[in-house]
Amino acid sequence: MTIQEIMKVLPLKVIAGQSNLDKEVSGGYASDLLSNVMGQAQAGNIWVTMQGHQNVVAVALLAGLSAIVIAGGVEPDPEAVQKALAEEIVLLTTALSAYKVVGRLYQLGITGE
Amino acid sequence: MMRRFVADLHVHTLLSPCAEIEMTPSNIVWHAVQHEVDIVAITDHNACDNVAAALEAAKATTVTILPGMEVESKEEAHLIVLFEKMQQLKTWEQFVQQHMSGRLNDAERFGAQFIVDADDNFVAEKKEMLLASLTVGIAEITAQVKKIGGICIASHVDRATYSIISQLGFIPPDIKLDAVEVSKNMSVEQASQRIPTIGRFPIITASDAHIMDDFIHGPKTVFYIEQPTLGEIRQALLAQNLRKVVV
Repeated sequence: MTIQEIMKVLPLKVIAGQSNLDKEVSGGYASDLLSNVMGQAQAGNIWVTMQGHQNVVAVALLAGLSAIVIAGGVEPDPEAVQKALAEEIVLLTTALSAYKVVGRLYQLGITGE
Repeated sequence: MMRRFVADLHVHTLLSPCAEIEMTPSNIVWHAVQHEVDIVAITDHNACDNVAAALEAAKATTVTILPGMEVESKEEAHLIVLFEKMQQLKTWEQFVQQHMSGRLNDAERFGAQFIVDADDNFVAEKKEMLLASLTVGIAEITAQVKKIGGICIASHVDRATYSIISQLGFIPPDIKLDAVEVSKNMSVEQASQRIPTIGRFPIITASDAHIMDDFIHGPKTVFYIEQPTLGEIRQALLAQNLRKVVV
């Protein structure tokens, strides 16, 4: 499933990475501890977090993730937005809680595997 | 002339909900004298109401109290902030109070937050929930501390919770830290190997004491400086003018 397809079902706002929405999502990961994400998230994963710091973008690039979803109505820091735009990585926000985002992704068949 | 000062730059009083009641300012000062700790920074979570009592209690002793606080950023990373003067800390306190969650403490569940005087008399119970994140990020905190003239040390960078490394994975390049603290759980050598991004900062160790036993036996840092002041400590962290840090 691509990010674009996910967006048809989930209320996600595109903050950056418009040109990469056709990317395939391999699975998902959820954590707010970036040290943990660096070691555990798999390439191609969609990552659900409530951290809005610019390091989120660096970690997603490092791990080769397909998209970042900042949940719970959290606004990413301006530096994070700038960095995501420069790197053209998909950065999405939503008012849905992290729990709901993960639940809905799971319903779509995007599991952690 | 350069002298050797033993410093513990991270000590909680009974104002912190997770600290034991034995951690009164006067008791900390008494134990500092007994165990030859020359410099003690009082660093309660998001508050500084017991610093004045510690300064008062230390007046007739050789112990130097540094006014400080351990703040929690919105990323949930803990940072030690230290100032030379109480007045600077009060300025900092205003900034912190403007960025608190507004939630109140539940002493039953999180622990009581006691304010006391220099003679261990009860003064008040702090109502605000101190063990919570502020609404400002690390970059803004470090910039604000610098503006007031203080120093900023990332707390227990080796720990899996509430550290800048656990929360952000690595230390962002734009963060101006004066040092990083390694906890009692890991040696400085181990920490430097395992957490490569801390290598560009001076490293200190401190007790992070919440109970007196940890204050007595926990790690400290030795500074070779002329006077027990924050200005001298800053020079030592930068290895300036023959000042130095030994961990």
